[in-house]
This record gives sequence, C-alpha cells and structure tokens, in this order.
Amino acid sequence: MGNKQTIFTDEQFEAYQDCTFFTRKEILRLHGRFHELAPHLVPMDYTNEPDIRLPPTLTVTMPELKENPFRQRIVEVFSEDGQGNLSFNDFVDMFSALCEMAPRELKAIYAFKIYDFNGDNFLCKEDLEKTLNRLTKGELTPEEVSLVCSKAIEEADLDGDSKLSFSDFENMISKAPDFLSTFHIRI
Amino acid sequence: MSYYNNSGGYNNPAYHDSDTLQIDRSPPRKSQHGNPHGNPYPREDGAVLRERSDLHQLPGGGQTISDDAQGRVPWGGLQEESWRGEDCLPVGLLPPQSESPQWQHDFSHSGYQVDQKAHYDTTPLVRLPSTTSGHVSMRFRGSRKMSLFPVGEAALCNLGLSEDDVKNEMDNEEENLIKELVAMSTRDRIKAIRDLPMTFADKKHIRGQVLVFKSFKKSQKWNCFADCSKTVTLSFRRCGANMTLAGQTLELWRGTMKEVGGKFGTGVLSYFKFLKWLLMFNIFSFLVNFGFITIPQLVSDPVISAEVNFKGLELLTGAGYFNQTVLYYGGYSNESQGTENKPEYNMQLAYFFTIAAYMLLCGAALIYSMARSFRKRFVLDDKASGGAWQLLCTWDFNVTNERAVRQRKNNLSIQLKESLSDNIRLALLPLSDRLKHYAVFLGTWLLSTAVAVGCGAAIYFLCQYEKEAVNKSSGSLVDEASTLLLPFVVSLVNLVVPLFYSLFRKIEVYSNPRMQVYVIILRNVILKMSILGILCYYWVTDVAEQFPCWEAVVGQGLYRLVVMDFLFLMLGSFFGEFLSNVIGTNCIQSLGVPEFDIARNVLDLIYAQTLAWIGIYFSPLLPVIQIIKFFVLFYLKKVSLTRNCQPPRRAGRAAQMQTIFIAILFFPSFVGAVSLLAYTVWTIPPSESCGPFRGLNTTFSAVHIWIHDLEDVNSARWTVWVFQHVIQSEIFYFLITLIIIVFIYIFWQITQGRKQLIALLRQQIVNEGKDKAFLLEKLQDLQKSKHSKPKPKKETGNRPENESSPGLLQALLARQQMEEEEGRSSTFGVSMPSDRSTSTTSSTMVHAMLLRQQADSQAGSYRGVPFPAEYPALSPTSALIQAMQARQMAESEDEHHRTPVPSQNPVNALPSTMIQVMQARQRAQLELDQDEPYRAPDSYDDPILPTSNAMMQVMQARQRAEEEEESYRTPVSPWLAQQQLQDKYNDRY
Repeated sequence: MGNKQTIFTDEQFEAYQDCTFFTRKEILRLHGRFHELAPHLVPMDYTNEPDIRLPPTLTVTMPELKENPFRQRIVEVFSEDGQGNLSFNDFVDMFSALCEMAPRELKAIYAFKIYDFNGDNFLCKEDLEKTLNRLTKGELTPEEVSLVCSKAIEEADLDGDSKLSFSDFENMISKAPDFLSTFHIRI
Repeated sequence: MSYYNNSGGYNNPAYHDSDTLQIDRSPPRKSQHGNPHGNPYPREDGAVLRERSDLHQLPGGGQTISDDAQGRVPWGGLQEESWRGEDCLPVGLLPPQSESPQWQHDFSHSGYQVDQKAHYDTTPLVRLPSTTSGHVSMRFRGSRKMSLFPVGEAALCNLGLSEDDVKNEMDNEEENLIKELVAMSTRDRIKAIRDLPMTFADKKHIRGQVLVFKSFKKSQKWNCFADCSKTVTLSFRRCGANMTLAGQTLELWRGTMKEVGGKFGTGVLSYFKFLKWLLMFNIFSFLVNFGFITIPQLVSDPVISAEVNFKGLELLTGAGYFNQTVLYYGGYSNESQGTENKPEYNMQLAYFFTIAAYMLLCGAALIYSMARSFRKRFVLDDKASGGAWQLLCTWDFNVTNERAVRQRKNNLSIQLKESLSDNIRLALLPLSDRLKHYAVFLGTWLLSTAVAVGCGAAIYFLCQYEKEAVNKSSGSLVDEASTLLLPFVVSLVNLVVPLFYSLFRKIEVYSNPRMQVYVIILRNVILKMSILGILCYYWVTDVAEQFPCWEAVVGQGLYRLVVMDFLFLMLGSFFGEFLSNVIGTNCIQSLGVPEFDIARNVLDLIYAQTLAWIGIYFSPLLPVIQIIKFFVLFYLKKVSLTRNCQPPRRAGRAAQMQTIFIAILFFPSFVGAVSLLAYTVWTIPPSESCGPFRGLNTTFSAVHIWIHDLEDVNSARWTVWVFQHVIQSEIFYFLITLIIIVFIYIFWQITQGRKQLIALLRQQIVNEGKDKAFLLEKLQDLQKSKHSKPKPKKETGNRPENESSPGLLQALLARQQMEEEEGRSSTFGVSMPSDRSTSTTSSTMVHAMLLRQQADSQAGSYRGVPFPAEYPALSPTSALIQAMQARQMAESEDEHHRTPVPSQNPVNALPSTMIQVMQARQRAQLELDQDEPYRAPDSYDDPILPTSNAMMQVMQARQRAEEEEESYRTPVSPWLAQQQLQDKYNDRY
C-alpha cells in the first residue's frame, strides 16, 4: 500500500476480509511473513494470484510454528493437497482459523483434524498416543502412555465406540474454556 | 438437497406453484438428458421416476399428462427441484449437474433409482430438528464439504453410489448453501462465510457466487435504488473495516504480548491483558475528569497560590505543594464559571455528574465483560474431566519459545504421571488421614482469618495514631514524612501476608489444585478488603469530623497509599522475584526458579484499582498516577518475568481464572468503592472551607438546588418531574426491585430447564452412538449376506423373483431389530436426532439403506403372489397389487409395532412416528409405482376401475395414517412439519 507497489487489489482485499477474520493490515502482514519465508519464490505482487506453494520444510521454520509439536500436522491439515504445501491462501486460512476471532466451532473442527493423525475422522487410541508422545517428548513409558490414552478415551467417549468422534470432542471442548484462548497463534 | 427441504423447501412458496413453473425450468436440465430412451417408463418394473424433468419429455400425449399429474406428485426430490428452478439462478453460476451417461444408464434399467432418490430423501426426516437454524445446517454442509465427516459419504460409496452421485450431492449442498447465504443480511452473510470450515478458495468461490446472484437479483429490481443502497452499504463496510484497522494500530503492546504469550503461555498473558484492561479504564477516567472538571477549573482560575515551595517529598506524601493544586478536591472552586453572555458552567454539577457518569460507565463495562466472560469461558466443573482434557485441550499453541515448550512438556508429563498415581492415592485415603486434613484445613483458615483481623486492628490503631500526629504536626519535613507510616505499613502487610498465606500450600492437601488456588484467592481478598474497610471507616468517621478540609486529607491519604503500593509492587516484584531467583539458582537449588504467581499479582492489581476508584472523588486526577503506575508496572513485570521467572507449572483453566478475577474486581472492589462514594455523597456534609460543595449540607444537595432552579425554566419541566416522581419516589425503586426479582426468578428457572436439557442431550449422544454402532453392524451383516447374490444395484431388475425372499427375510429381521433398538432407546425420549452430524448422517444412511432394501425385497417378493380375491381382477397391473399389498403389510406392521409403545407417553411414541412416516413415504413410492402404468393408457382396456379402487384404497390408508399420526403430533414440531408435508402431498395426489 501507500507509495509501494500494490500487493493486492481492492477486490482481493475485500475477498480476504469477507472470508477470513483479518483486516487489510493483517493480510499485508501475513503476506510479508509469507514472503519472508521464501523471498525468491514468493512475489511481492499478488494481484494476479500466482499459484505458489511453499513446502512444509519451509513453513514450519516460522517462529510461530517452529516449536509447536503439531507443526507438521497443522500445515498438512491446512494445505489443499494434504501434504503440507501451503499456498498463500492456505496460509491465510491457517492463521484465520487460529486467530482470536475464530468461533469455537471452527476451531474445534480444525483442532479435531489436527489431532486426527490417520484421518479416519475419529480420534482413536493411536491418534491419542501420537498426540501424547508429541506433548511429552517421550518421557512416559509406553505402558503409561497407553494407560493415559485409554483413560482419556474412557472419560470422553460418550457413545461407547471406544474412540472419540467429533461430537465427543466438541463435548469435551465445551468443558474446556481455555481451548478458545490456547488454540490460537498470534502473528 | 437432502437438508434443504426441511428448512426452506417446505416453506418455499415455489413449492406451491412449482407445477406451473416447472416447464420453464426444465430446459437447462433437459439439454443434458437429451431424450435417449424415448419413453423411459414403459413397464411396471421401470418404476423410473428419477428426475422429474424427464417426465416432461414424454413424447406425445405423455407431455400434458405428466405436467398435470406428475407435476403434482410431490415426493422426495420435489422440494429440491422446485427451489432449484424457482429462483432462476443464472445458469452459468450453477455447478454443472454432472449426470454422466453411465449414471443414466444404470438407473434407467434398474428398479432402484426411486430408492436412490428416496435414499437421499430420508436424510431430512431424521435431520429435521437440527436444521431449524440456518447457521447450524450450514455448519454441517461446510463440514461435509470439507469431508470432515465422510462417514456418510463413505457409506454412500460403500453402498455402491458412484463418485458422481456424491459429487452431485455435494453440488446440491453448495447450491443450498448459496441459497441460504443469499437470503441473509450482509453482516450475517460475511459472518457465516467466515465461519465456514472450508478452504479460502472455496469460501471465495461461494462468496463470488452469492455476490453475483445478489447483483443478478438486484438488477431485476429498480436499479437506481439498489445502486445507491449498495454504495451506501459498501461505504459503511469500508468505514467499519477502517475503524477496526485504526483500533489495531492503536493497540498497545502487541509485540510484547506476543512475546510474553510465546514464552509463558496464555495463563501469564492473561495477567498482562488484565493490566492493559485496567489501564484503559484509567485512561478513560483521566480523560473524562480532566476534560470536564480540571480544564474548566484551570480556565477560570489558573492561578495556583505559591505559598508552599516544592520540596520533593510531596511526590511521596502528596501533601504540601500538591494540596493547593487541582490534584485534590480542595483545589476546585464552587463558583459557576462563565460570563454574562455565555451559558454558565456549574462546577458543582460538573463535578458530581462527571464522577457519577464515570462510575456508571465503569459498572456497565464491568458487568458487560463479566457476563461475557461468564458466558464464554466459565464452564461448570465436570469432575470427571481429567486425562482427555489434559491431553487434547491444554496445549497452548501460543507458546513459541523453545525452552518454554520443553518445560511445558515436562510439566505435562509430570502432571499425567501424578494423575495416574493420584487416582490410586485418593481412593485409599484412610479416615485418620482425612481427619487430619480437615484439622489442617480448619487450622489454616483460623490462622488466616486471625491474621487478617490482626492486620485490620493494627491498621486501625495506626490510623488513630496518625490522626493525633497530624493534629500536633508543625509542618516540618519529619512530620510530613511520618504520614508515610500508615501507607508503608499497609503496603507491607499487603506484600508480606500473601506470601505467608502461600506457605499454607505446603501443609494443606486439596484433592483439586484449583480448589487450592481459589482458597488462596479468597483469603487474600478477605485480607485486602478488611484493610480497605478499616481505612474507609477511619476516613468517613474520624477524618470527616476532624479536619476542616477533610476531602483533601482523604485524597492525600489515598495518594500516599497508591504511590506506596506502587513502590512496593516494584520492590516486591524486583527483589522478591529477583532474589528468589538468585537464591533458587545459586544457593538452594531445591527451591528452584520462582514461578510467576498469577493470582497474587492480579489481586495486587485489583487492590490498586480499588484505591483508584475510591480516590476518584477525593482526588480527581488520581488516575494520572494510576496510569503511570500501570504503565511502568507492565514493563517491570515483563522484564522481571523474562529474567527471573518460569511459567507456572499448573497451567490450565486460565480463562476461568480470568473470569473470577473480573468478578472479584466487580464485587468486593467496585461495589465497595461505589458504596463508599455513595455514602459520602449522600450523607456526609462536605467541608465548609474548600472544594466545590462548600456550604452545602450534603454533596447531593447540589442536585436539589439545580432541580429547584430548573423549576422556573419551562422547557425543563420534564426533568423536574422525572426527578421528583422517579428518582425520589420509593414506589419506583420498589417496582424496579420487584421486576428485577421476578426476572431473576424466571431466568433461574430457565437455567434449570437448560440443565435438564443438557443432560438429555448428553444422553442422546450416548444413544445415538449405540444406534450407530448397532446399525453399522447390521449393515455389515447385510452386505455380507449380499455377497452371495449379485450386486443389487445393477441387477435388481434381472434378479429371479423367487430369490428375493431371503432378502426380504433379512430386511425384515433387520428392521425388526432396529425398531426394537429404537424402542429401547426411546426410554430417554431420544432417537430424535441431535445436530451431531456424524452419527446422524451415518445412521440415517443406514436407515435409508435398510428401508430401501426392504422396500425392494418386498416389491420383489410380491411380484409372484396370487391376487387376493376381494380385489376385482380387472387386469390391474402387478405393480398395483404390489403396492397394495406392500401397503397393507406396512400398515399391519404399523399396528404391530405400535402396540408395545405406551401411548400415554408421547415421547416414547417418537420412534414409532418415525417409522410411520417412513412407511408412509414408502407407501408413497409404491403409489408412484402403481401410478406408472396409467401413463400409457393404451395398454389397458378399462383403467378407470382399478384406478378408482386404488385411489379409494390410498385415501383410506391415508386417512388412517393421518389419524394415527394425529395422536403423535404434539411432541415434536419438526416431525409435524414432515407429516404435514406428507399430508399435503397426499392431498395433491
């Protein structure tokens, strides 16, 4: 904006503003961050919507994601191809769902996807074990991990299929008021 | 489409005139179909009715008949059809209806395609309650679009649906979504689009379509107005966006907040947010006070008498030089400013109303944020929540610091280990241990209360001492410094006693760590409030009687307290945290690096803010000090935090704590300050010699005088009336109180109801899960059994008829069991689906599947059955016979299944109602089947008689069904809607 070259047209800005929770300034900031990741790949001019995807190896180096135990999952979930290759739109999407304004339902859906490692739309025991291993950097013994996971499933599973469906997950989240503020990445 | 007809289709006006519009609408679809089959419905087994638009293509005479008759036959696809055409979506916008030739081929030769439709169509039946609000239904769609719950879709695929069908389904959903979005207001629409769980590209696509559709619709209307309104809304929206942008630019400390959040997580961040929030309060208060009280005073009387020189100690004591300034109450005059030709500025009223308005606004803001916070974050404790919650909801995505991440992981694993051992330990606790715990609990409470009382007493005596010291003071520097004793002691108590309280942590044992935090908070609040209470008592009794300009003295006292508190906060945080860090790292390793105690720090802030609120009347510019204090504190705490502290081990429930802090800020703190101010204003005579209210009986008399003056002004009569009849009348307050109590009672009752509802819904989820599991199992059985015979979808038509009986048996069995299952689950009055799409979708699918299977096998099995004698054998087609028999059977089944259900309990009847409706639908399909032959009249010699016979039969059946349904109508309105739909359809027939 200003005296610099145009990065987005007004229509693009409006589309972004209507479809995400960001303002014009934040979109520009996001673009800056995206550009930073790969200055030679990402052009400054996005008016013609170039289709450039950054591989996960690049995106997870962002300071916001670098230390996140779920970084790989996050980029995978938000990438269109499921491999973690993020286009700028995916990138905006990602931070839109993770921003403060996003409603609980939206966050819950994406959180569920992130925790659902095998993509079967249930959080089964393997998913929880993977989650736990990421969260505790392997300090617990396998028995303990298994015990914690089965206890967790037992607690949260309402319909008795010994895995957590989305409704179980939502129900659990409704009891965790912190979720809204913790499932949140500032950019 | 599958969801739409509940929410919109039924109410859609287009539904009623669809038969006339239908012709216009068919072309776009027609072009795809071509007319490859000639007459696609030649025989009875070609009960083909898959696409209504196809009907219009019947050659020759068929055209008119179909337009007339079939156009009225409402069945599954109708609602969908009707809306799809009705709005004349620009053709280019519509996602292409991808009906591949393959698809066509399959369907034109099988007996399945009706069921195919019905299959989709069954979904809304069960989905009804969930789709009552557009928002919810949208969420489903979005979710399905994202294939978050492809269970349904997977099931579709398993059931042999091609990808095209699934795609079709999704396209339809998208259309419905767009349709729904178009109907919304701009604001709602943007919100809805934002909330869609889709990729940005999809959202943009949908948004584009909605916009084009909107403009298309608009262009049909009067253009000028539309353009104008569009421009206006657009500019409004741009303006709103710019406002948010400006707000963001002004946002303080964004980077710092991010850094703190990244290193210490959300819990610690909430302290800084709270600090910032309080800072905003004070900035606002400063602006208001400065603008409405100080500036007029300075303008009218800028001269500050320079009797006393500035010595430096005033910065601490607030006495001396400051005493003459506008910092205190005493510095304001009681004169009305203004020259003859300008309206005068009444200082008394300005002072009174400014502070009253500020307090009111503060109260409103507090109540608002408290209520919002309660609604959003405060969740009733569920005692069972532990492991799962810890596992899935506690990870703080904010944290970006490598060390912090490591530490968090450590903490979490320790906590998990603890929770594993906790369960065992707590269960095995013997009685003696428990008694010991209770004794410790009691002892600590007694001790803490005693300490609080002791502190209060000490401060009271100190106050008495100070009073005498001030009376005797000669104005020397030492005397002035001695006034600092009281605030020093108060601040010291505030610093030391909480630390002492936190030692109790080592002795007390709580099953719940959160409980411990609450207890500590409660003790601290009691301590702080008792100290403040004593101070206030001293001010309003002793000080108010003794000193000539007592408001300024109180103001000074508050100033000293605020400043001293500030110094102690700095010292406390710096030395407390810094020293314990040094000790922890260098001397005694076991102590470790200190944690940042959020609760204690926030309580300090609350205490500081209480002082500021109390002081606002006595020292209007006290907020300036408060602003400086908070500003410095922010950076100080940040530095101290990053240098000395580690994040708290027990992370979690930070949001809940935040709510509690706001509540504490409101209840003892704000309410206390307001009541003190109210007492001062209403009852204590203001000092005679200084301040704006000198010479009045009470501060509030200023308002009386003003009202008295207003009585002479004609245009202000209403103000006088309001004051005399509302503000001063007891009846008004009595009524208000009564109304509020009634409302509280009503809301309380509503809350109780909601609680019951929540329990019911939870039970429902459980039941849904069981249903789902059962039905999936059945489905698998079915599919296994189907492996023995050819795939039903493609070869139903070719199947030898005598082979169908095992299928029938199977289906009946499955159905029977399904109904038993439902009967069982209906004990809780559930089986009406929730908005949990996962289970509903799949169970609905299974439902539909079973029904289809059953209908199919029934139809198959009756094909060879001899014709019953009571029907005149006037060569009706076998389809007719089938239909009747199937219906008969369905009805008898109805009877059979209804008997066990106790009719006095309407909730229990739900499953049977559902079955009924499904059967009615089934019947409808069969009727449609039976309708087929009459489309080609030349194959019958006398079609009228059987037709009328069939009609009669149908009518009777319908009547019966309606009577039966009537009795179940009351419990659930969505069902009602569906039934009415059914009735309407029957009527049309």
